[in-house]
Amino acid sequence: MLVASGLTRSTPFRLAVTFATFLIAAFLLSGLVVYQIVSAELNDRVDEDLQKTFSLLSAAYGKDDLEDLISSVSSYADLSVGNEQLFSLVGSDGQPLAGTSAIRGFVAPLGFSNVAAGSLGLGGDVAYRVYSGKIGPNKLSIAYSNDDTDELKQLVLSSFAWAMIIAAALAVSGGALLAARVQHRLNTIAQTMDEVSRGSLGSRIPLVGNRDDIDAVASQVNAALDRLVALMEGLRQVGFDIAHDLRTPLNRLRITLESALEKADTPEIIADLEEARSDIDKTTQTFDALLRIAQIEAGARKSRFQLLDLSEIVADIGEIYGEVAVDQNKTLVSRAEPGNMVHGDRELLVQLLANLVENALRHTPAGVAIKVSCQNLEGRKVIYVEDNGAGIPADEREKAFRRLYRLDASRSTPGSGLGLSMAKAIAELHGAHISLEDAEPGLRVTIVFTS
Amino acid sequence: MRILLIEDDKKTSDYIAKGLTEAGHICDVLADGRDGLFAATSGSYDVIVADRMLPSLEGLSLVKSARAAGTRTPVIFVTSVSGIEDRVDGLEAGGDDYLVKPFAFSELLARINALGRRPPPQDRQTVLKVADLEMDLISRRVSRAGVEIELQPREFRLLEVLMRGTGRVITRTMLLEQVWDFHFDPKTSVVETHVSRLRTKIDKPFEVPLIQTVRNTGYSLRVGG
Repeated sequence: MLVASGLTRSTPFRLAVTFATFLIAAFLLSGLVVYQIVSAELNDRVDEDLQKTFSLLSAAYGKDDLEDLISSVSSYADLSVGNEQLFSLVGSDGQPLAGTSAIRGFVAPLGFSNVAAGSLGLGGDVAYRVYSGKIGPNKLSIAYSNDDTDELKQLVLSSFAWAMIIAAALAVSGGALLAARVQHRLNTIAQTMDEVSRGSLGSRIPLVGNRDDIDAVASQVNAALDRLVALMEGLRQVGFDIAHDLRTPLNRLRITLESALEKADTPEIIADLEEARSDIDKTTQTFDALLRIAQIEAGARKSRFQLLDLSEIVADIGEIYGEVAVDQNKTLVSRAEPGNMVHGDRELLVQLLANLVENALRHTPAGVAIKVSCQNLEGRKVIYVEDNGAGIPADEREKAFRRLYRLDASRSTPGSGLGLSMAKAIAELHGAHISLEDAEPGLRVTIVFTS
Repeated sequence: MRILLIEDDKKTSDYIAKGLTEAGHICDVLADGRDGLFAATSGSYDVIVADRMLPSLEGLSLVKSARAAGTRTPVIFVTSVSGIEDRVDGLEAGGDDYLVKPFAFSELLARINALGRRPPPQDRQTVLKVADLEMDLISRRVSRAGVEIELQPREFRLLEVLMRGTGRVITRTMLLEQVWDFHFDPKTSVVETHVSRLRTKIDKPFEVPLIQTVRNTGYSLRVGG
């Protein structure tokens, strides 16, 4: 789910795209440079060839021996195929003496020049490189077609284009592959942290073992988690020790009060002692609840989990509390299709639902309707406990799960402020997620069993 | 009944022993685990009350050893060890009941009475009778003075627990555990509501009420207040 939605936002993917872009730019630039070098070199070679041919032909010219030159130029012109090389020998008076018949009488300015095929009276759009020089009183112009060099330049360009396409494809796909691998490892880290935040403190990021930077970060995170767990264990141990060590003195105190009650003779003293006794019992209950929550959070009883039907528990709770609701002028109905099996601890799940139903009963006015139901939503078992009372303000819903937290509205009603903490601890022990929502009006508690 | 109390906290053991004596029982107190095991296996007690944290031999091991040695005497743990798995551990070690400190003496007494008067397994009754109230455990029928009474399954179970303990106090906590399988203290009147429903069926149409309320403790089924 992280890969699909966040691919374009993921750092590895962005790195891969940036890297591919740089690679393509580098290829373009180097292609351009190579093209320039190659084309300059090719142009130089054509010029050299032109000059070489010109000097060979001019060597055939002796004093007053025009015939040799004419025949040499003619044979050169005849040898040239398909207007690749053109020759034009013109006399001092401008009359054509020899050369390629197509350009008879053509005269170019002395030195090098570029001439298009059109201005030579030829078809096509080939450009020609021309060298013109004097041989005695005559003027010889040699034109070489740029066809071959153009082709070579084209070849250079297209080979670079292909190389670039292949490189870009490799860069993008390789980048995507690398990005996906890194993304996968980042996802494992994110998933582990998610599990830890959901309460399975034993989860650790799996290490690949190649000692790369991700492994290094992962092992540091794991070490931090180990430390966290050790601290929490220590904290729990202190909690247990306090609970155990306080229990003995509380027990003695209660015994002292009981003995005093037997001897007490005035109603006032009896009332005071009974109040003190009931305070001790309340304190003990709070200790018990805190201890239970800590132990459930530590994963107690998970080894005793059995396959059980949530619907059965929902029906039981509905049956047990239905009459209690009637006595308070409220209604409580349960609805559950049988067969919503989960692995769990029946005793704890009963307490979870009892806590939620008792909350609904205790914090609502007469006349409300409470509904407990169990559904199978696409394989996920969901329990709802809802009422149409006053509900809980949105900003207090998350806080309501805190230990000993009491909503302002419920300070006047009795309770320890531990019912929802206990419910959350039990839900999380079962891999379930518990949340409070607005039932419009009222409060809906939703417990989604994911595993 | 003859009761063996194995408890190392003197104040607690004095208090329990005094209460049990006042209730008409004979109580022997031992403060050491090994001494306790020796006495427990003697076979001369009806109920054993054992702490878990004891000198020389821990309570769980004591009961395990006694059971291994063939002692069948019912055992109730009375202990500060109150973890969520500890009660199950206690029962699995061979304990019959588990009570966490601090506790009300009436709760302990009710539980000791329930354990000590438990009929042996071979002597299972199929019909329970209290005055003119009759419960047939096989056909699951209840009648009073010959008039058949319709009960919900949970009401039947509640009445059964009360009838099995006729004449004795059954505490609210005992009812929660045995009737509803609740091992926590509900903040609403679950027990009161259901007992009241049962009363309207069992007592209200008749002259003599059978279900008595024992203040601050629980209920008792007997003829007359």
